[in-house]
Amino acid sequence: MKIFQQSSEFDYSWEEVSTGNWRKYGPWNEKTPHVIAVDTLSRTVDPITGILRTERLITCKQSTPKWLNTIMGGQDTSLVYETSYVDPAVKKVTMCSMNVTLSDLLSVRETCIYQPSSSSPTGKTNFQQRAEITAFCGGWQKIRNSIEQFTVDRFQQNAARGKEGFEMVLEKAREVFAEQREMLRYQQESRILQEVRI
Amino acid sequence: MSASLAPECNEVKEKYDNCFLKWYSEKFLRGTATSDECEPLFKQYEQCLSKALKARGIDSMLKEAREDNRENDAEHMRPKR
Repeated sequence: MKIFQQSSEFDYSWEEVSTGNWRKYGPWNEKTPHVIAVDTLSRTVDPITGILRTERLITCKQSTPKWLNTIMGGQDTSLVYETSYVDPAVKKVTMCSMNVTLSDLLSVRETCIYQPSSSSPTGKTNFQQRAEITAFCGGWQKIRNSIEQFTVDRFQQNAARGKEGFEMVLEKAREVFAEQREMLRYQQESRILQEVRI
Repeated sequence: MSASLAPECNEVKEKYDNCFLKWYSEKFLRGTATSDECEPLFKQYEQCLSKALKARGIDSMLKEAREDNRENDAEHMRPKR
């Protein structure tokens, strides 16, 4: 088993990050073309705890090196099952994902947590990511190691791109929000002007 | 927002996603959500998606993933106060 772990900070409030998170793989993100679809499978709010639980299916398409392609049977599309939990009372987003495809060959389990940063709870958000990668191929230690190493490296690259892309989304969302507010202000002002004219 | 794995569901998915985002930022995060007004749109989207998942054999793979996810549910659905 190999572990990939990192933590970082976003210069945006938890509210902005947790909202932007739903748009992470949308058109505002130009850094993660390997994520080709994100579907919501179910969504419920727990009546007692108030926690929002969402199940999503993420479709990825990314080329793999030839040696791995042979083992994988030429598949280049992979599916990830993700369950997320948003607790608005304590401001915490937890996202758990696992691979759905190639699960006989490999297990990739990831947990991501977004929480207000302790240094600046209203302006910054802390991000923690941890993934456990285990390959299963009987006694073939060497192949198992190569698959795990390749997956960890790929995971690291995608995580870096994912963060860059998410930054783009957060920036764009802030821009659009400011524009909307401005527009609303104009509308209200013009309404006042109209009434003055009357 | 992102596309659906089933192109035929894209239109209703987009409507639902937009509805959800509005509900999430304007009601859920502010603690004023009393009902889920996006439910009718979700039902339409779900109907379209579930056909596609079945046709591609993904529904059975998901069943396994859901089983494996039970521990996460037990851990994260608990309130942490």
